Formats: sequence, structure tokens, C-alpha cells
Amino acid sequence: MADLPEVGINPGKPTRKRVGVDPITLRVLGGAFDAIAQEMAGVLFRMSYSSIIRESEDLGAGLFDAEGRELCESESTPMHIGSLPWYIRGFLHRVDKNELKEGDIIIHNHPYLGASHTPDIAVAVPILWKGELLGFAAVTAHVADVGGSYPGINADAFDMYAESKIYNGLKWYEGGVLNEDLDRMVFDNVRTETMNRGDMEAMKAACILGRDRFYRLLEKYGSDTCMSAAYDWMDYSEKRLRAEIKKLPDGEYIAPTAWLDDDGRNRDVRLRVETKIIVKGDHVTVDLTGSNAEVPTGYNVPFEGSLLVAAYFAIRTILLDQDRLDEPVPQNDGIFRCVDVIAPKGSIFNPNFPRACFSRFNQCQRVVDNTIVALSKVVPDLVTAGNSAAIHFCSYAGFIPEKGEYWLYLEVNEGSYGGRKGRDGMDSVDCLMANTRNNPIEELDMRFPMRTERYELRDEPAAPGQWRGGVGIVRTNRFLEPGAYSCEGDRHTDPPRGIFGGYDGLPAMVRHHKAGGGYEEIPAKVTGLMCEAGDAIQLIEPNGGGYGNPLKRDPKLVREDILDDFTTVELAREAYGVVVDPKTFEVDLVKTKKLRAQLQKKRGRNFQGELLSLVKLPHRMAVSPHTGKKVAARR
Amino acid sequence: MKRIGVDVGGTFTDLIYVDDQKGTVLVHKTPSSPADPSIATVEGITTLCEMAKIKPSDLDQVFHGTTVATNIVIEHNGANVGLITTEGYRDVLHIARHKKPMNFSLWQNLPWQAYPIARRRNRLTVNERILADGSVQVPLNDREVRAQVRKLKKAQVDAVAVCLLFSFLNDEHEKRVAAIVREEFPDAFISVSSEVIPQYREYERFSTVALNAFVGPKVSHYVQRFDAELRKMGVKTGVQLMTSAAGVATPQAAVTRPVNLLMSGPIAGVVGGIWAGRVAGEPNVITLDVGGTSADIGLAQDGKLRMKHLLDTKVGPYQAMIPMVDVDTIGAGGGSIAYIDSGGIFRVGPRSAGAMPGPAAYDQGGTEPTATDAIIALGWLRSELFLGGKKDLRVDLARKAVETKIAKPLKLTTEEAALGIFKVLVHSMVDAIEQSSVRKGFDPREFALVAEGGGGPLFASHIAPEVGVKHVLVPNYPGITAALGLLTTDLVYEYTKTAYVMASDVVSNAKTRSTLEKQFAALEKEAMKQFVTDKIDKKRVRLERIVDARYEGQGYELRVDAKAGAIDEKWVKAVKNEFHEAHEREFSRRFEEVDVQIANIRVRAIGAMPGLKPTLVKKGTKTPPKTALKLTADAWFEKAGKPAKFKTKFYERTELLAGNHIAGPAIITQFDSTSVVPPGYTADVDRHGNLIIKYSAAVAKAAESGH
Repeated sequence: MADLPEVGINPGKPTRKRVGVDPITLRVLGGAFDAIAQEMAGVLFRMSYSSIIRESEDLGAGLFDAEGRELCESESTPMHIGSLPWYIRGFLHRVDKNELKEGDIIIHNHPYLGASHTPDIAVAVPILWKGELLGFAAVTAHVADVGGSYPGINADAFDMYAESKIYNGLKWYEGGVLNEDLDRMVFDNVRTETMNRGDMEAMKAACILGRDRFYRLLEKYGSDTCMSAAYDWMDYSEKRLRAEIKKLPDGEYIAPTAWLDDDGRNRDVRLRVETKIIVKGDHVTVDLTGSNAEVPTGYNVPFEGSLLVAAYFAIRTILLDQDRLDEPVPQNDGIFRCVDVIAPKGSIFNPNFPRACFSRFNQCQRVVDNTIVALSKVVPDLVTAGNSAAIHFCSYAGFIPEKGEYWLYLEVNEGSYGGRKGRDGMDSVDCLMANTRNNPIEELDMRFPMRTERYELRDEPAAPGQWRGGVGIVRTNRFLEPGAYSCEGDRHTDPPRGIFGGYDGLPAMVRHHKAGGGYEEIPAKVTGLMCEAGDAIQLIEPNGGGYGNPLKRDPKLVREDILDDFTTVELAREAYGVVVDPKTFEVDLVKTKKLRAQLQKKRGRNFQGELLSLVKLPHRMAVSPHTGKKVAARR
Repeated sequence: MKRIGVDVGGTFTDLIYVDDQKGTVLVHKTPSSPADPSIATVEGITTLCEMAKIKPSDLDQVFHGTTVATNIVIEHNGANVGLITTEGYRDVLHIARHKKPMNFSLWQNLPWQAYPIARRRNRLTVNERILADGSVQVPLNDREVRAQVRKLKKAQVDAVAVCLLFSFLNDEHEKRVAAIVREEFPDAFISVSSEVIPQYREYERFSTVALNAFVGPKVSHYVQRFDAELRKMGVKTGVQLMTSAAGVATPQAAVTRPVNLLMSGPIAGVVGGIWAGRVAGEPNVITLDVGGTSADIGLAQDGKLRMKHLLDTKVGPYQAMIPMVDVDTIGAGGGSIAYIDSGGIFRVGPRSAGAMPGPAAYDQGGTEPTATDAIIALGWLRSELFLGGKKDLRVDLARKAVETKIAKPLKLTTEEAALGIFKVLVHSMVDAIEQSSVRKGFDPREFALVAEGGGGPLFASHIAPEVGVKHVLVPNYPGITAALGLLTTDLVYEYTKTAYVMASDVVSNAKTRSTLEKQFAALEKEAMKQFVTDKIDKKRVRLERIVDARYEGQGYELRVDAKAGAIDEKWVKAVKNEFHEAHEREFSRRFEEVDVQIANIRVRAIGAMPGLKPTLVKKGTKTPPKTALKLTADAWFEKAGKPAKFKTKFYERTELLAGNHIAGPAIITQFDSTSVVPPGYTADVDRHGNLIIKYSAAVAKAAESGH
């Protein structure tokens, strides 16, 4: 498969015959498309087996035209939204469009042919109507294991072949008949056959449901009206996004350099992320030129299935914020038309085949975060301060001899958001492109040989700002039997940025507590760390950056923060200039006014506070973004 | 028996009086008193008693559906809640499921953080731990508990929620904490997780228990005061309340578990619809209750209510893991506003003109076209017949709003625009109905659509052919079907326990079997105890077993019926069969070879109430009495995709007789509702006065050629 076609080419505007659709039918069909996508996702996560699909909703589902243009997609995890078009264009290099039959079911996960990454397998069924291929009903979902070198997560893999089995446009079913040998090949080569089977069955059911629902619309309204309505809605979404882009002044907006911890093998070699946002008229280009070269591990980003998705997400989230809109702007191909992405071939964001690219989420998150920080100068009201913009995606696994299978638990650990103009940052929540559900502890402890011993907000205070940053979590998971821990994570070195005078937040940290006592601080990316019964992994997630000058925060809010342990009496004085009685927690307004004036004078205009130096917990791996040096903890 | 049902809505309080012996039915509608709902209620009861010429002391029962608990949550004005939880888990309520409500938003707030049920300062931990097998790893320290309780007392919380990890397996720590709270802080309202909902999934349980504490003091106060008022009036039985699970609870039960009242409001409508269906000989019903701002949709097969999936049992943004009848509410009603958005798309709702300014036609300052204005522009609602001629409708203002805001920008005629508004709303309702019917595996052709509320009968006949239901059923009093529903409800309680056993294990392991038997028996005992408190005769009690099951390895359960009697292989087989069926209906797949896990067991305990006898209306001929026809006027209906003018007959509902047959186009008005019979449809009055509206090809043809 060395001879790969050129990728990332948008098919442009649709060429299928268009007919006029009256405004009422258009509205009706818009609602129907949306409902179909949501319903497909609902079936998938409610009937699936692995917790990564059913709890985390690490999945995407929707309808697409014959060139992969998105008609609609489910509101599940944003990292999936917009990748399926590229899967479809990818597998169409292998599958002949003209030979597709009713009852064909295609599976695909090739990361150099559109896949988001190998464990996100796509299942697609063609929508054939009166002899014409109108498009596909398709889903992607993260399956527990794809037969790579290590169970679950493979951040450090030699190449694409080592991270996963590759399914390149294979027909799992042909004309409704199961391809039995392929089926055996697929499920014989994963560590969690039962889970994978259940999940793939759910994916199949979701696709068939989506297709059949679309058939009903076709019966009622005819293919010309349905497809024209779909294209009208794409034009609508495009128009809405372009109108917002047009409001921005033309120009180039550059984010400060962001640093990724390492590639998962070569420790202490940080990786550079450079982001330039170019606004011209009603179009945006996200330019990542200058970012790190590709790496020899699985820490590269598939260009189409992942990076493009991140760029679309960033622009749309900032400019068409769902919470600010009176009516929903549907997710479809129209959104993608407004954004271009430049990432030089051979860079970490556009690697050469066959580099491994299993672990790409953190890099994508940083592109989004950089875009937000870059645009903060032009749309200060619409952005957040720097966000955690990372995940710790962990796998805990062991072998069950009686079953001849592995137990495997995948966990996405949340982050926090930066402060916003008028609102504090969100605490302990999946950040940016992550939007998964956690697993009930009471379910995990009953199901796996593990025990969660702590799961709450971390002890360190929020990053000061007129609007404070959000607070991350601390979580301790103990192995009750020997097992392997793997993780793709980041942000142990580079803290989230404060903006407009807000303090920088705090980076993340992971500790490996040994059964016999003592602990070791371990990197974010770990592959196949063997743990003994009684060993525990403790994850501490970043605190987002502060927004605006903390000396302007309402002292009443500072007092509330103290009462709720979001800050301390000490920090209130030092960072916020608010004098609070440590016994009564009453604010001394006179002293506060005086102290604030003093601090303002001392700090000057370009003051940048760093929370790292004000907390007692040592972040041994952390590096100040301003000095490039390690930061000592408070003594 | 002489009984009253009271349904308190946002705008009106509906009351119905029934005398079972005499067959008397009286209805009364009075404006709600949102500040203290009991004012309107007590006043309404007094009026109804006067109308019925009885004394309040003659009343045998007063049933009440209330939104008091719901409103406390939505307006966020509940108790100051303190929480005691396991060390290391202070922020379960703050983290929730760590999922944002919106994917594409930096501006959103997380409601559970921005408006917490228990503030972080009042969430205190104690060092204790129960493990996943129910054993104690870290024993509880009384002294520490006492210190934390004192802190909460000092912080002046009103209510204390006790939520410890794995308490559903072993409640000894929670019991001890509760005892200490009672000793140290007897004034506090206490809500203990193993008592309120001994079910696994800590966030959902903690949230439910905290909500229980949040609404507890106010709901108790309201219920007790209402009960006392009634007793003062002479009503010996006091008040009984509708629960989210469509049962009726006594004041005592409501005060212990007020969280069960959270969805009391919309459920009575479904129950009333089921009853109306039964009267008309339709066991399968889809209920559509359309009000001013929203529409509630329910479905019942064989007269049986369905419960919501646990991921969907929310109140506002907060999770409440309690059994809730599956009712969907969508933002589509008579007040829904039509507009064209900035991208040129035509939208209707969810924004509503509300009671003020209301539709443009009400001439209260509204200029935006609402669904009601569209319906007025189509000529279906007429001033002289609206609300018994009591409210003036300005047709000119309605038409003007539709014309300027919609018709002109979209280059449509006023009637086309009006019909468009109506059709967009019809479609939203069709979508919502499909969501809860055909998409859950129910065949709509086997169902009647029961039209309720002021607006249901306006929309139902246009919805019927889209969804594919048999026909539309408009009950006698569509506006008070919910109040009526209250009188048809039995006393129902539900008890639950996490079992977490595999079906195969139940078959092969005698110990598992006996544990399960004991667990069921304990729940059944608890239920019978409640009925003793309620003074319900044992003979009137029915116990039903239910299990929440899933395939081994799956994460979400489906609720299925289980048999009574001994737990043996046959019992397990029956449960598995029920589950396979349910799974196939929900997801179109079954996996017979996979083991089934029983996650939770439930006992639904039903204390039979006397029910409601349907009344009969006088028999007439096929042709309605002449006096029932009030006028004939032009109205607009759709013909080949376009609005067309039709000579339309307007009838008064209360003057129609059993056996009357009406061919559309016709409009049938009554005080609180208007039924639309479009061209091509017929309406028949059955012996109980129900209207059955059907589509008929022959009539359609006649209507087209006759014009």
C-alpha cells in the first residue's frame, strides 16, 4: 500500500441536479436529517458493549452524499464530527462506487486514507435509490482494541502496522451476506473479541437504521427534493459561518508557541506547535507551518481525519457558539467550506506514510487552544483563556485465563477551561474536542479488578483572573491484580495560558504509586507500564488560565471562592489583592482598595502571573512559558 | 364516592368533580396562583363543592397533580443543602458525568457547577469506605461524622443529603450517619441515599438524593399545609398526590420522597389519555397535550405506561434516577412564534409569546405571528366562538403579523404563510411523536391519537395521517383530561434495589436464587407496610416485579416485567425472553446466545382505587341537531399543497349527540378547545361523547368536487 493517492482534496460544491425546495419542506427535511443522525448515535451508544462507546460516546454517526459530503452528523464527541467524509473518500479509493450493492457493509480505518486514527473504525452502508448511489449512512466509533503491539493504547509504536490491524475499504458484508473469513480475521486478531463484536454489531445496526430512515424520506419527498434540501442546508451553514468570519478584520493572528511534552519515547525533547490564523474576507486559513517535524512514534496526527476536524471545530466553536445562537446551525459540509488548513508534508500534523499515528488527540486539542488564544485579540468577548486542551487517555488491562480474553478499561480524563469575559472557567469537564462521559465508579469497581480511591477536584487553587480559570481533577485508580497501564497524555510541562492579565494555569501530573510504598512521577505518554497488584495510578489534570486582571475581580466573588476552596486566603491577598479575615472570612474593603492600588503599581502593565510558583505541589516537569525554565514550587 | 382531581398548570388550575354513584361530572377552570398554588386550588375546590351542592366534608378524595417540585428545581429556589459523602468524593455532583451539554460552545455554563444543588462549601466528607462486594474497608468514625454534621448546622443548611459510595450494597454507614444527623441536627430535612434510591451509579444517585433534599423542605411544607387546609375545610382524607411514576402518593409518602413528585405535572395528561382511550375502546394510545408554549407527548400500549430510560430521567439539567413515565415535552404550542432567521430559514418556536403579550390577535401588544395567529388567519378560530365568545380576537392583527413578518419576506400569500406556520409546527409534533412511537418499535397504525389540552384538537387531525395512526380521539373535555387522569389513577409505589447478578448464575446457584428471592421479598414487605400506613385494604393491593436487565458487558439496562412466584429456571427464562423482546424493539437486534445481567430489581406496588365510570351522552341521529350548527363561514385548508378556501361548518361540541356524523371541512368548538375536521375527514360522536376523527377518501373526493 505504498502507492497512496493524494489526500485531503475537497470535492468542492455538489454537481447533482438541484431543484427548488419550498421553505416549509426545507425546514421539515432539516429537522429530519438531524433526527436521523441523533437516532443513529443513540442506538450505537445505548446498545454497545465497551465503555468507551457507551459511556464516553467516543463515536460519530451521520449521512453523507456519494462524494462524502456531510448531510448531518450526531452531537457526540466533536473529535469525530467531520472525519467521516474523509473515511468515505478514503475507502472509495479501494471500493468501486459503481459496484456497490444493497446490503454491502464496508469497514475502514486506514489513517493515510481518511481515518481519524486506527482504533476509530468506520462502518458504512451505501444508500442506493433507483439505481443511483445517493450516498452513505456511516458511523465511526472507538473500539477497545485493534490488535496493535499493546492492549488498548499504542502511543509508542514503530509504524502504522504496529499500532493496529489495517482495514482498507473491506466488505464485511456483501449484498447482505457475511464475509465469514474476513469476520474471523477481524475478530481473531483483537484482544477483546466479545466487546469488539458487540460494538461492531451496534455500529452495523446504527448504519442500517440511518439508511432506512433516509429511505423513508426518499419515498415521501423524492431523491431530487431530499438531496437538494441537503445541499440547501449545507449552503445555509456555510452562509452563517461566512457571515461571522466576515465580521473579523482581515489579518494574520499568531498564537504563542505551544509545547507538547515529548513523543512518548524520546523524553525531555519537547515538540513545537506553531499556529497562525489567517483571516481574509469570509475565509479562514489555519496555518501550522513551523510546527515540529513528524516523530518516530505514534504521536503523529492524521491530516484529514483528525487535523482538519480540529480546525473546523475551532473556527465554528468560536464564531458560531451554540450557547449564543438563537437557532441551531446544523453540522454539515457547509462548515468545512469556510476553513483551509496548511500543514507541511512531513510535519507532525501531516506525517509521511507509514509513520504511526495512533495518538493524535492532544496535538489536535492544542491546535484548537492556540486558535482560541490567537483570536483573543480580535474577538475578546468570544474566547476563553488557555484551556487544559489535553486528555489523559488511559488503558488499564490484564489477561483473564478462564476466558482467554483480556479485560480492558479505557478512560478519558477530563480537564478544565480558561476563564471567559463575564464567566469563570468550567471546572472538571471534558475540554474542547473531547466530550465524553465518565464511568460510574460503582460500575467500574464491580466490573474490573480495580478500585478507584479518589475522584474529585484537585487540591490546588484556580488560576487567578477577573474571571478565574477552571479547576481540574485528581483521580487515583488502584490495580487489584497485576496489569498493564498505557496512556496517551500531554501537558505535564506547559501550563494553560492566562490572557488579558489573568494568571497562567497549572499543568497536569501523573504518579505511579507502588504497592510497597513510595511513588514515581511518570510522563504523560506511557506504553505498557507493568503494574503489580496494589500499584495505583494517580492523575492530576490541568487548571485552565485566568481571564483579565485579578485585581478587578469582585471581592465578593473572591470571598465565595475561599469558602468553596477554589482559592485561599493567602492567594486572595497575593494575586487578587483582596484582604480577607482568615477566621470570619469577611473582606476588609478599605485594606483591599489600598492593597490593590499598591499591587497594580508594582505589577505594571505587562505583568504575567504564574500560578505554578504559588502552589505547594511541585510540578517537576513543568516549564514556564515565559522564561523557558523550570518553576520551583512554593515552600 | 365523591372525588375531586386538581391539575395545577402554569396558567390555569383545572378541577374536576366526580360523583361515582350519581354519575355527576363537573369541571371548573380558574387562574393559577403561582406564588402559592394552594390558594387557587382551595378556592377552586370550594367553588366546585358549591356547584355540586355538597359540603367539602362529603368529599371522599382529593387528588392533586403539582408542578411545585419541578418549579423549585427550574427556578432554583430550593433548600440550602449540605451533603455528607465518602472521603475522596467531595465533587461527584460538581464533576457529574464530565460531559458538556453543548459540543460547540465556549460560552456555555455547566448548570451543575453554575447552579449547584449543594454548594461546595457544604459538601463535606467522612473517612469511610465500603467496597464493591459490600464489605467495609474503612470503618466509620462517629466522632468525625458528628464534627461534620455540626459544621453543616453552623453553616445553617436546611437539609442534609447522606451519600456514601456503595451504600446500595451495604447501608450500615449511611444509617449511622443519618442517626447522628438526627441527634445533632433534628431540624434538618434528611435525605439518605440507601433509603431514597438504593441503586448503583454514584452521580445519578447522589444527584437524586441531593434533589430530594433540595425540594424536600418546601414540598413538605406545601403538601402539609395543603393537606391541613383541606382537613380544615372538612375533607377527611386530606390530599393525595400524583408521582412521576404515575402513581398516587399519600402526603406522608410525598414528604419522605418528594423527589418522586418532580414530574407530577405532565404525567396526568398521559394517564387521562389512557383512560379516554379505554372508554372509547382503544387500549393503544398516543397522547398529545398542546398548551400555549409546549406540547407533551406520551404513548401507552395495552393501556400500560412506559418508563423513561435512565439516561433521560432529568429535571431541567439535573439527573434524577427515579422512575418517570416517558413523556416528551417539545417547545411547540399555540404561542410559538414564527420568524425568519438570519440565514433565511423559516422557523417556528421554541420561543413563545407566552400569556403576555400573547398572540397578535389578542391585541395585547404582540406583533410577532404565533401559531394561534396563523390558525386565526386560516379562519379556524373565530371571535364569536372563541372561549365561549368571551375573548375578542383581532383577525386583522393576526393577518398583519403573518403577512409582514413571514408572507412578504418569503414571497408567499398570507394564507400560504399561515398554512406554512401551522405545517412546520405539525411537523415538529410529528417528529416528536415518531421519536416515541415508530422509532421505539411501536406500530402507529395500532394506535389512536388522543388530542388533549386547548391546542391538541387543533393540530391532531393534521398530524394523524403523517404519523399513520388509526384515527384521532378527542375526549369529552380535552382541556381537563389531565385533571381527569388524576381520578383514574391507582395508588402506586415503586421500590428498587441493585442486584447485579447474571441470569446464568441465578439458574445455577441456589444461593444467588435465595438472595434474589429475599431481596424481592424485602421490597414487597416495604410496599405492604406503606399500604398499611395508607390504610389500603390488602385485597386491593397488586404487586408487580420488574427487573432492569442488559446483556453481559452492556452499560445500560432496559426495564422489563418479571413474573411473581418462585425464582427458578422458568422465571429466569421468562425474564430473558422479555428482555430479548425489549432489546429488539428498542435496537432492532437480539443476542440470544449472550448471558443477561439483572442489574436492578423493582417492585411496583399498586393499591387499586375505584377508577372512574364513563358517562353516556344522549343518543341522536346521524345528522347533528340543527341548533348545534352555529354558523357556516369560509376557512382555508390545504388542497394539492396550497391553501384553498372552503365553506366550513362550525358546531358547538356540547350540543352534539351520540351517533352524530360530521363531514369535513368542519370546526367543532367548545369552551376550552377547538377540534378541526379538515376536508376529507369525518368526525363521529361515540356513545360517551368522544369525537372520532378519521380520514376518508370518499369524503375527500366529495369535498374537492363540491367546491
